[in-house]
Amino acid sequence: MDIIYSKAGVVPFALLVFLMLAGYYFMRKAKGGKPIPVRKIAAFDAIEEGVARSVEMGRPVHFTLGYGPLSTSMAPQYLAGLGVLNHVARLCGKYGANLVSTLGVPELIAAEEEVIRDAYYSAGKPELYNVTYNVRYLTDQQFAYASAVQATIQRENAGTNIMVGPFWAESLIFVEAGAASGAFQVAGTARETQIPFFVLAADYSFIGEEIFAAGAMASGDNVTLASIRGQDIGKLLSWVLIVVGLVLLPLGIKLATYLVM
Amino acid sequence: MGAVVRRNIPQIIVTIIILLMVIFYFFYISSEVRTAFNTWDKALTDWVVVITAMAAIVGGVDILRYHVNQSRKKEPKQVFFSGIVMIMEVIMVAFAVIALSSGISIPTQQNFQWLYTYIYAPSDAAMYSILIFYIASASYRAFRVRNPPALLLLVVAILVMLGNTSLGELLWSGLLPIRDWIMTVPNTAAFRPITMGLGFGIIILGLRLLLGKETTWMGRRE
Repeated sequence: MDIIYSKAGVVPFALLVFLMLAGYYFMRKAKGGKPIPVRKIAAFDAIEEGVARSVEMGRPVHFTLGYGPLSTSMAPQYLAGLGVLNHVARLCGKYGANLVSTLGVPELIAAEEEVIRDAYYSAGKPELYNVTYNVRYLTDQQFAYASAVQATIQRENAGTNIMVGPFWAESLIFVEAGAASGAFQVAGTARETQIPFFVLAADYSFIGEEIFAAGAMASGDNVTLASIRGQDIGKLLSWVLIVVGLVLLPLGIKLATYLVM
Repeated sequence: MGAVVRRNIPQIIVTIIILLMVIFYFFYISSEVRTAFNTWDKALTDWVVVITAMAAIVGGVDILRYHVNQSRKKEPKQVFFSGIVMIMEVIMVAFAVIALSSGISIPTQQNFQWLYTYIYAPSDAAMYSILIFYIASASYRAFRVRNPPALLLLVVAILVMLGNTSLGELLWSGLLPIRDWIMTVPNTAAFRPITMGLGFGIIILGLRLLLGKETTWMGRRE
């Protein structure tokens, strides 16, 4: 057998292992019963406010997680979107709100149906689950999907509009459609170019990696929640590396070249 | 049995795939193993194509089911809208059957191309063009000066917008370098931490998936 060697670099592999161990460490610590303080995400807390507001107004909650094929680098964002949908659906079950979930990812139709059904059943409101009403696959074509989502928000007169997933140019169309119908809006994406639109136009927004943290928060499990501290360790590490890199740069040492070895 | 099918089997598949992806991204075990992995990788990619195609059919049925239900409600606006969608869907399927029975590929069929050129493409372009109005209305709301950061945002937005137009160049030649500096220095500096945070978020999501702690995507019946 040939000698084992690293193709993508020893340092990136070591960093990956370090971050995973950091996350695992906090999860173990939480499992031992020790409370792990985790930062609050305003957008996550706002979801409950939005659902309650919708119930008071007698309007449905709209959720969408994007369009396109699942087998791309956007898959983690669809997964994060499903996590948030789970939370939204459970809240809708708890407060008795109607949920309309639109999507443009055909591979996720069954997953969405299951997530929403389980959430309503768990909340003891199986009568609220209506697959044709709750889950609406539209299309996987960008602007056809954009116009269909916009039409759904306006025709259904959504009281709350929640968007979590990968979005492209259609992001602004959705938040403006929500604003026009007077909906309370929570939006999040990990696509950097669309984040500014959500921050400006939505009431609350998940910025970048917060959509992944929201999935852990939605689980309601302390052990899963503690893994978020691993993300924070990663951020701390990147700060240290930036400072060290800045100090070494005047000495003629480029830290970046060592980080890809 | 239900829990095994609903929970355990998907979790085992996810764990194995994550481990294999990490191992084969970072290491070469041996050329034989590498070749074998490439073969599995190709097979998995083929499965993805098949699953996506089947999912598209499920999607088509889902759309039809929704609009049949909506038509039964007999609301004038909805019946008209649902009717158009159902007719279009039936036409698409009919064209596909005609193309397949004639032995030609569906996208090259003449009727399909007509639909694409004269209905789909203009509608798509129109939707994209509408964005300009949404950008204008969103900008109006976003750029109202309510506090000092909003004022900063407005000033920066004006500089970048003027720097992007020929009018800006006409007014003052210094606008272009300012726009370039804003985009390459503060803008890049703001984006990079977000990008790094994304990486950390995905790694920890991967950890949760690996350990079977991320199960919200499978539903959660209690």
